Amino acid sequence: MHSGFPFANRIASNLITLALVVLAGGFLASALVRYSPGFDSIPEDLNPDISPATLRVLHEQRSRENSLPVFYAHYLARAIRGDFGVSQNLKLPVNELLRERAPVTLRLILWGTGGGWLLGGLLAWMAVWPRRDALEATASSISGLLLAIPPAVLALVFFFYQAPLGLALSLALLPRVFGTMRALLDDCYASPVLLAARARGVRPIVIAARYVLLAAAPQLFALLGVALVLAFGSAIPIEALCDVPGLGALALQAATSRDMPLLCGMSLIITFFVTLVHAAGDLATGLAGERA
Amino acid sequence: MRRNFKRAAISLLLLIGMTAIFAPSLAPYDYSRQFREAPNSPAGSQFPMGTDDLGRDRFSRLLYATRVSILLAPAAALVSILIALLVAAAAGRVLSGLTTLCLSLPWIFLFIILRATLPLNTRPIASILITFGLMGVAGWAWPARIFAASIRQMKHSGWLLQARASGIASWRIALIHLWPHLRAIAIAQFRVLIPSYILAEASLGLLGLGVAEPLPSWGNLLAELQHPGRVHDNPWILAPLALLMLVMISLEALQPSREVVA
Amino acid sequence: MKRLFGIGVFVCALLSAAAPNHELRFCLPGDPKTFDALHVSDQHSEVIRYLTGGVLLRVNRVTDQLQPELADSWKLSDGGRAITFNLRAGLKFSDGSPLTASDVARTLNAALDPKQASPAGDTFRSEQGDPTVRVVSPLEITIRYAQPKPGIDRLFDALSILPANSGRLPASAGPFFVSEYRPGDYVRLARNPNYWKRDSAGRQLPRLDSIRIDIQPNREIEVTRFLRGETHLINKIEPENFDRVAKEMPAAARNPGASLDSEFMWFNQAPAAAIPDWKRKWFASAAFRHAVSASIHRDDLARVVFRGYAHPAAGPLSPSNRFWFNASLKPLSFNPQSALRGLASEGFSLRDGILRDRGGHAVEFSLITNSGNRPREAMAAVIQDDLRKIGIQVNIVTLDFSSLIERIAKTAQYEACLLGFTNVEIDPIEQMNVWLSSGPQHQWWPLQKSPATQWEARVDKLMLLQASEPARELRKKAFDEVQRIVVEQEPFIYLVNPDYLTAVSPSLHGVQPVTAPPQLLWNIESLSLE
Repeated sequence: MHSGFPFANRIASNLITLALVVLAGGFLASALVRYSPGFDSIPEDLNPDISPATLRVLHEQRSRENSLPVFYAHYLARAIRGDFGVSQNLKLPVNELLRERAPVTLRLILWGTGGGWLLGGLLAWMAVWPRRDALEATASSISGLLLAIPPAVLALVFFFYQAPLGLALSLALLPRVFGTMRALLDDCYASPVLLAARARGVRPIVIAARYVLLAAAPQLFALLGVALVLAFGSAIPIEALCDVPGLGALALQAATSRDMPLLCGMSLIITFFVTLVHAAGDLATGLAGERA
Repeated sequence: MRRNFKRAAISLLLLIGMTAIFAPSLAPYDYSRQFREAPNSPAGSQFPMGTDDLGRDRFSRLLYATRVSILLAPAAALVSILIALLVAAAAGRVLSGLTTLCLSLPWIFLFIILRATLPLNTRPIASILITFGLMGVAGWAWPARIFAASIRQMKHSGWLLQARASGIASWRIALIHLWPHLRAIAIAQFRVLIPSYILAEASLGLLGLGVAEPLPSWGNLLAELQHPGRVHDNPWILAPLALLMLVMISLEALQPSREVVA
Repeated sequence: MKRLFGIGVFVCALLSAAAPNHELRFCLPGDPKTFDALHVSDQHSEVIRYLTGGVLLRVNRVTDQLQPELADSWKLSDGGRAITFNLRAGLKFSDGSPLTASDVARTLNAALDPKQASPAGDTFRSEQGDPTVRVVSPLEITIRYAQPKPGIDRLFDALSILPANSGRLPASAGPFFVSEYRPGDYVRLARNPNYWKRDSAGRQLPRLDSIRIDIQPNREIEVTRFLRGETHLINKIEPENFDRVAKEMPAAARNPGASLDSEFMWFNQAPAAAIPDWKRKWFASAAFRHAVSASIHRDDLARVVFRGYAHPAAGPLSPSNRFWFNASLKPLSFNPQSALRGLASEGFSLRDGILRDRGGHAVEFSLITNSGNRPREAMAAVIQDDLRKIGIQVNIVTLDFSSLIERIAKTAQYEACLLGFTNVEIDPIEQMNVWLSSGPQHQWWPLQKSPATQWEARVDKLMLLQASEPARELRKKAFDEVQRIVVEQEPFIYLVNPDYLTAVSPSLHGVQPVTAPPQLLWNIESLSLE
């Protein structure tokens, strides 16, 4: 079955979507920050040591262009050149902050995603493959147990017992991956093609590789992307609670202090990352659908 | 064995549900009553699970907290799933960009703006309903992506093409042909969303939304786990966590059996 | 001979390599916003400023007496209008550049420059204008005001002298300088090799080689790390964690007594507030405020919320502010029956457990406070419970700090607020903006064009008097009356003064905990590690 769209056109289409979504995401995030209560407030407002005149100047120094579109246009023009401005709270270039913090978060996310995806997959396989109720019940119970524990609390326990936080993130992601993987694998096993293969006596390992993993590969790949994005979302409370100096902790700090340049820069990068991951996932599932 | 497991799960969920409904009758004390002579008491005859830092009976608070969380978190999850299904079925090519936008935005500011627009004297029940409602509305993007991936694959399947070629209406295709394939994933996502919303409600308390003092919820009871030192002195702090785990395991056990699609 | 010398050098190198690096480690809950001493306005930056800043004079936090620092002598003259400093000879910054009177002049002039918007400069300004600064010689400088400036000498405890060229990590004249900074991770301070101070045996201070300050917002983790021996002190610790330290490491838990901090609540009386008139009348009534105050069980707040590590408040100042506290004031008593009688005289009546005003409106108000502060949230719950017993419904709303500041400082869209003063300055001259009716921090009704009540007019007069009076005793008399009026009128309902709880590792020597900031670190140059 042909879709009628050449592959190159699809890539181009995805790139345009990527650009539009990043621009829109950055603008919407800036708007949310700009119009949220507390934007114009600074802790110095409550400091009795500071004179009204000094407070006025501090506010003026912190004031932005009144028009959000003007601010955003100027910010984008600088961002294209790689300049994401200066953090109002930390008084450091946003580039520098992101450069220092990104590797910490990236390590945590990669460990967490890889571990969560693999462990979730193993558990889902255990629940589906052997066709044993006891194993399925065990897998479901483990998933249910882990789902109930807040990721940040899990990480805190790991921290106090000096265990790797990446493992905590893996366990936090596991149930979120497990459910969908199990459903996918269940669907595969119920498919007529696989039933026919089993009826023909094809070996289980071949069935697993050719009829299950290969058939579900695009969705599994898409799930990996989803897991990456989930991992970033879970990393924020983990980093904040366990005081890990990564992007998550920086994002929370920027949000509480309404640090516009930092939040704008992080929103652009996060939107870009999420869009890229989703686009890759969509492409993969689209291709798989056509192949089928 | 699976049938026994399911029966046990149903019984447990019913028990928890009945406990939630009859909490005022079952709780030995009002959830807000402060026994200031006995803060942080260990479990004993007067307080089966001990007291919290303000001398409030933990057992009573757990019963009342169950009402809030066990009713509203699944309702919010249901709202998210329904919106996700509708959007995934209807949005087509635009869906990817839409969900990405939704997932990338700092929603914390929307909640802060919501808090600013609500009167400070908003009734607790209204605040709770608005909070869970908004979580339900804001949480559709995630499941929508999962559904859309499955729908995309099914679009190229033979049986769906045949159904379309036969002139069957889109809504019939969606309800009768697509839904059975999406059901398992929808239930999986529903289960995943419930604890997320319970825990998210506690985080929203930091923004002035959610369940306000003195009303308890599983979320704000679980927030105590951020102080692991307390668990050692009073392990009953883990009771809401244990209850949530039992609920999640029960929901997992109620996952529909594998169906063979001929 | 050469071989012996070589062996000697080798042995010395080995010994110095084997000698322990005396690095003090502790945590701060957030990043310092700046290392520029002139622009410090937050607590974390202030800690760094204190540890690195070279000042002309230092207030000894134990004796409360001034002692010479960069200036080895000083003289007040012209009825308290002028102060002349004589600097020590041979002073240098950590980068080796000399420190002279010109640097002092440049620092003070920069602080006073309106374009700099320096919070440090605000303490040196006066109603009659900025002082003039005259460099008499490289080691002598005179600062002169048009009118006497009370406490003029003590102001220089907070002015760190800066070098001409300050980079991102500026050089300093204090015991340490900032050598490394990783945002969100840590700040490292290295020993100033050119620090002027020596101990009684003639050894150069400080005794510590360096200080590593980890950025650690999570207080649980901070305590865990302390108990593991990864850090040497906790400068401020919550009651619950203090008990944990006291249980696991009794020698480390130190309670120097009531802090200068206070917790209080107030009702919004600002005209801009969108409050119905009948509610505004409640808040404006001193009898209503007294009734609320008398219904709050302060002993329970101290015992339950702060685990006994707090004391019921007697007024605006903590009793640990020994000189300025009005000792005739007693802690406010708990008397709900008297509260109900007072309310009845104002036309309130209690029916079916609900208090109603003359117009039949049920007495109900919202109480906002900052989220994430468990003691404050717990206090709000206790207050809610106490006031419910006299029929008042309190709705607690916890807000993130920025939203809270906006409501109380800008939009006035709130009814009542529960907050506290922390790291309070000792001298009430630092609180002018709170007590003057035109002040921005006159929280219940800020920025008044003219005093709304007679008692506020009286307080204005007394505060301006003590701000211009050079004699400390006369200033005290004026401020004693301010405290008495504030307790009479209760625009702020003072609740408790928490203790200043700290933890100090037994391996750290020389610590003399005090309640004035920077508490454990005030004599940093004398601290040493085993």
